[in-house]
Amino acid sequence: MKNVLLVGAPNSGKSALFNRLTGLQHKVANYPGITIDVGSGALRSDPRAQVWDFPGTYSLNAISGEEELAIDALRSALADERPAVVAMVLDATRLEKGLTYCLQVAREAARSKKPFLVLLNMMDILEHNKLVLDLDGLRASLGVPVLPVSARTGDGVEAAEVALVSASATQSPWADTPDALIEGSAQQIADRFVPQGELLVRRQAKIDNWLLGTASGGVAFVVIMTLFFQAIFTWSAPLMDGVEAFILGLGAWLVPLVPEGIFADFFEDAVFGGLGAFLVFVPQIFVLTLIIGALEDSGYLARAALICHRPLSYFGLSGKSFVPLLSGVACAIPAIYAARTMSSRQERLMTYVAIPLMPCSARLPVYALLITVLIPDTTAFGGLVGWQGLVMSGIYFFGIVSALIVAAVASRLGESESRKQAFILELPAYRTPNVWPIIHASVNRAGHFIQKAGSIIFTVTVVVWFLGYFPNGGEDLSASWLATLGIWIQPIFEPLGLDWRYGVAILASFLAREVFVGTLGTIFGIENADDDPAPLAERITESGLTAASGAALVVFFTIALQCVSTVALLARESKSTGFAMRLLLSYLVLAWIAAFAVHGLVSLF
Amino acid sequence: MSLWSLSVGASASVSSVASDSGNVAAQRLIDIGFRKGQTVSCLLQPGFGAPRVFALGNATYSLDKETADLVILTDDRPS
Repeated sequence: MKNVLLVGAPNSGKSALFNRLTGLQHKVANYPGITIDVGSGALRSDPRAQVWDFPGTYSLNAISGEEELAIDALRSALADERPAVVAMVLDATRLEKGLTYCLQVAREAARSKKPFLVLLNMMDILEHNKLVLDLDGLRASLGVPVLPVSARTGDGVEAAEVALVSASATQSPWADTPDALIEGSAQQIADRFVPQGELLVRRQAKIDNWLLGTASGGVAFVVIMTLFFQAIFTWSAPLMDGVEAFILGLGAWLVPLVPEGIFADFFEDAVFGGLGAFLVFVPQIFVLTLIIGALEDSGYLARAALICHRPLSYFGLSGKSFVPLLSGVACAIPAIYAARTMSSRQERLMTYVAIPLMPCSARLPVYALLITVLIPDTTAFGGLVGWQGLVMSGIYFFGIVSALIVAAVASRLGESESRKQAFILELPAYRTPNVWPIIHASVNRAGHFIQKAGSIIFTVTVVVWFLGYFPNGGEDLSASWLATLGIWIQPIFEPLGLDWRYGVAILASFLAREVFVGTLGTIFGIENADDDPAPLAERITESGLTAASGAALVVFFTIALQCVSTVALLARESKSTGFAMRLLLSYLVLAWIAAFAVHGLVSLF
Repeated sequence: MSLWSLSVGASASVSSVASDSGNVAAQRLIDIGFRKGQTVSCLLQPGFGAPRVFALGNATYSLDKETADLVILTDDRPS
């Protein structure tokens, strides 16, 4: 089998070309011996050849941990003895930005005796703007084959496929060229061959004047982000309802077929109850990935990062952290996925630190219940503002501020790279998003979520169900092993004025935060507490939950990272189980300390 | 003067990039084409201290102040 190593600068259209070459048969794989995602897929015209899509970078001189991994991946692929051809994708409209990297890789390929060729992408844009590039001259100067292609229209792709399969190593002029000469040569080639296309820049600048202008840019930003949120919450809602209805329907149809008893209970509670609660988020992840993909492909995401960079940099974050943090208000799972667009590992880790504190929608039922218990349903300011709504806003604000403060502290305690990260962002040209690759990527992402996070969530679901079901066959939760565990951990929550019942509900909420309400409902003997928390709130009030303990619970839930799917995904995406576990423990300890402080403070009044 | 000082619509030549050893940002600027003799122009200065937008060849880049200050320009080119 022959390997095709596809490399190039960011925004050179490399991934679009990869999809053309593989016919969208993209899958994410770990390249042998490394820990970074490299896309791979069989070449459409010759499935015996495997195309590897390496992360885009501007040079073999890495400036971040992430780039270092990408370059190591390329170097190990070049060192691999299996036959391979290196294809450098250059953006024909912005030739100068990829030439240094091109010559560096040409040199490494020559040293590894691997054939090297250039795929000159985006030729359609040059032609559309009547710009000319001397291909023969460029071929002669580079000393390697140069094939004009357009990933967007497909022009030239067939010829490129033939060249990739038949390429063989030839004498390269770059094999012994030192770095300093490579930089000089790249500049000379750029000066001679870069199309004089100020027209392209001017056209882009006109749109940027609007979208990045001090006033108009702010308005556009707010409008686009409002639509973004509307899409996450509103567009995905019918899909989420559909998934929920499907799972409920499937459960209602299948559970009666299972003999009554433990198996029926297991299918009903653990499989359809537990997994159903997790699968409901899949449409939201699909919609989020779809919209972020469209924003990214249109060129706007880079502009949004620019607008937010300055305010977020005060908190050790970057402008690129904005979309993940915003997504975190809906759910931490898609937010963690959204952080993949960030090139720096350090910036991404700081964003991961902040995401769990963003007030996600799973916290909403918990806050709603506790507010109903603690805050009277009265209004202020002549009936204009309800106290309960005001407190809810305050809790959300507290979550967001906590996220920023913790990120600020963590970045100052962490590696210096996170604080000194340079902001160099290429602003891609505006264009109409490519619909099918974005849909394909969104389906992939949703499928990946089900496959990876689902297995962990299912395991924990079974364990919690097992502890809650035995030894009395699910008859009495208060006599279950879960309750025994709750009583065992009671000393932890006693200083907050909370008894074992809340301990059990908190334990169960590690599955998903909203499980807290349902579990308390079961313990207090209230059915369907998830749908209507009012009777449960009344029972909790009667049971004597003090204002101090209620406030402590709110603070605990605002900070604690008791969401197994978030922890599992953090471990996967950060490629460090240790990082995820440290975050889990740190937020639990911090949550407890803050809750204890608030309990003490409120008790004074 | 540094690249950050360039006013909107003005162009100038790159004189040097302050590439003290270990400055990865300077290295990256050189990699993407901020080299001696290259013409760079300022396209936009968004408000509130946000990173500015510069054109280099056919590409546009957004740089924050600390990074743009690494690029030293010659003053002899009319804007």
